[in-house]
Amino acid sequence: MNIASVQSASVPTPTASRSAAAGTHEEKISVRNLNFYYGNHKALKNVNVSLYTRMVTAFIGPSGCGKSTLLRILNRIYDLYPNQRAEGEVMLDQANILSADQDLNYLRARVGMVFQKPTPFPMSIYENIAFGIRLYERLPKSEIDGRVESALRRGALWEEVKDKLAANGLSLSGGQQQRLCIARTVAVRPEVILLDEPCSALDPISTAKIEELIDELKNDYTIAIVTHNMQQAARVSDYTAFMYLGEMVEFDATSKMFTSPVDQRTQDYITGRFG
Amino acid sequence: MMEHTTRAFDVDLQDLTRMVAEMGGMAEKQIGDSVDALVKRDLALAQRVISLDPKIDALQREIEDKSVLTIARRQPMAVDLRDIVAALRISNDLERIGDLAKNIGKRVAAIDGEFYPQKIVRGVEHMADLVLTQIKEVLDSYSRRDANQAVAVWRGDEEIDAVNNSLFRELLTYMMEDPRNITFCIHLLFCAKNIERMGDHATNIAETVHYMVEGHALPDERPKGDNTSTTTVAFRS
Amino acid sequence: MLKLYRARRRRNARVIFFSISATLIGLSALAAILGTLLYQGLSGLSLDVFTQMTPPPGSDGGGLLNPIVGSLIMTSLAVVVGTPIGILAGTYMAEYGRYAKLSMVVRFINDILLSAPSIVIGLFVYEIMVAPMGHFSAFAGVIALSLLVIPVVVRTTEDMLLLVPKELREAASALGMPRSKVIQRVSYRAARAGMITGVLLAVARISGETAPLLFTALNNQFFSIDLNAPMASLPYVIFQFAMSPYHQWQALAWIGALIITFAVLALSIVARSLTAASKG
Repeated sequence: MNIASVQSASVPTPTASRSAAAGTHEEKISVRNLNFYYGNHKALKNVNVSLYTRMVTAFIGPSGCGKSTLLRILNRIYDLYPNQRAEGEVMLDQANILSADQDLNYLRARVGMVFQKPTPFPMSIYENIAFGIRLYERLPKSEIDGRVESALRRGALWEEVKDKLAANGLSLSGGQQQRLCIARTVAVRPEVILLDEPCSALDPISTAKIEELIDELKNDYTIAIVTHNMQQAARVSDYTAFMYLGEMVEFDATSKMFTSPVDQRTQDYITGRFG
Repeated sequence: MMEHTTRAFDVDLQDLTRMVAEMGGMAEKQIGDSVDALVKRDLALAQRVISLDPKIDALQREIEDKSVLTIARRQPMAVDLRDIVAALRISNDLERIGDLAKNIGKRVAAIDGEFYPQKIVRGVEHMADLVLTQIKEVLDSYSRRDANQAVAVWRGDEEIDAVNNSLFRELLTYMMEDPRNITFCIHLLFCAKNIERMGDHATNIAETVHYMVEGHALPDERPKGDNTSTTTVAFRS
Repeated sequence: MLKLYRARRRRNARVIFFSISATLIGLSALAAILGTLLYQGLSGLSLDVFTQMTPPPGSDGGGLLNPIVGSLIMTSLAVVVGTPIGILAGTYMAEYGRYAKLSMVVRFINDILLSAPSIVIGLFVYEIMVAPMGHFSAFAGVIALSLLVIPVVVRTTEDMLLLVPKELREAASALGMPRSKVIQRVSYRAARAGMITGVLLAVARISGETAPLLFTALNNQFFSIDLNAPMASLPYVIFQFAMSPYHQWQALAWIGALIITFAVLALSIVARSLTAASKG
């Protein structure tokens, strides 16, 4: 079964959405015919996928399938390294972010990213959040205070750190550090948030807190999450994309993907039958 | 299908399938025995049917426990999840079938001593044979995970309904002819109804098997032929 | 099995014995040096040493004021000149040009310079500065010393910046921070302790260098802070006084050696504790 027929069967394409019945979603990011190379090695092969506005899309697949690679293209963070290039189209609100004249810093202000390893900056908690805000806006201290507080509240961290904003970011626990990173990302008011295995270094309770956070955040942001924990993908996402060896195998609503997937490879992976 | 990376998961699923098949076998035997007891007026056999019903109930509880435990342990997805849900639903249907057979057994004692004509009896036997075949087929389709076989069973309920309709008419006629017939006719009516219900449970199981294999339910419109609820026979004196 | 175990334990004990002996030998050498310095130099240590200029040969009294001042001036200026160059080069190699061929070449040359004989550096600066200028000068001395500072700072800066985890940089870039700000606000801050250590190590190194000053700053018997003229320096004075037959000069040489040694020791300890603090 080729990918195009799977997609047209289960996912409304942009042209179809205007004529199709209710239940279609607005595309925030549309990936079309994406190929990606590490040097001469082709890591992504003709990938097509959509991230819908204010929905959570999960990317699952075995190690090395390219899901993190794909995520890192969405904010062009791969550009920091030589010998990595992308071909194809990635449309953010109808503009191709892969074009050479795309302002990378502006792109990354709109598309934020949280990494697997919590990375608080070596500064105070307050500074960690204010840092990003000050990049884009000149605000008086009182306003920055307010923005810092609201960001920490959105990151479900305010209550725990409000009395020690001057403490070093590195003095927090792992789960708190990760929530700090999420608060930091949210503080600059992006439109899309990319999460690269955000909970894999955390204990179950911190993981649950962050999943709850994602549930709240999706009311305002479009979210993409890469996870190797299938149950997490099932819990958290509205749409799921299964990737294998650099290809997009299946992309569908989570409710359908985990109860009756179409592709045999998808079924084998999510039921734990992978060879 | 490929095996799970965790072999114990495969063992759990196979155990469930085996238990459902075992329960199916017990239900089949109960049906056969209860109709036999009815036709041959064998009180001892009827008593055995009644006393064996708790075993079926116990097996259903076992299947339920095992299903819940497997869900908790393995977080099953997709086809595995549908497998377990199917086992739960089928065991429910089989338990109801067992109860219906027990009910027939009870009525054997009630009409003991009464005379009833062969024609009616053969009608009941015929319907019971049809139902037994349906149940055998549907349990086979479960074991073999064959959705087509299940759909065939699903469609086959029409014939059973037709036999039930004619039986219904005949019993009504008998009752109108002679009030002394009413007792056994009523009991036979209930037995026929029970057997027809067993047929319905078989189609339920067929729908579950289809869902388990295909991932989506059969469409609502099943060919139904049971119009006993609207049947009347004019009184001719 | 037990036999093997016992044999291993015996061998273990032997190796531990030799290791400890070697350590004790090394430590005792160090102790001997420090002890000799203290013994010879401590007795003459007085306020005069820091207030009086070097005495003429044969006379009593006098101090080490001009060499101490000279060393301080030239060392600090060398650091001021060499550190920015070193940090910027190290930053280029670790941040902008990490994968560029140029970085590899620079790294290679830097490693050579790191262990280049300091007398060669001195001769080089003689050729390019002293000869054309026609006279020795503290300027030339500063240049020579900074040529010794640069490789050390380049090396430590690059190493420390490479140690900053790439996830930290990516996190900063992912906020939309331009490269230069990422380096200034994040990389530098994270590598700060290590980079300062590098500078301190460079200072410790050049504090005791005599050879480069031989051909550039030479020496000055009198107090001078004129950069365009020869300037006194502690290492040079020690060299000159220790080989002389005058008693006072020899005593002053010991005192000078004591001062240098303990200054370098103090710097190293500070550098060490900074590194330990950043890791802890």
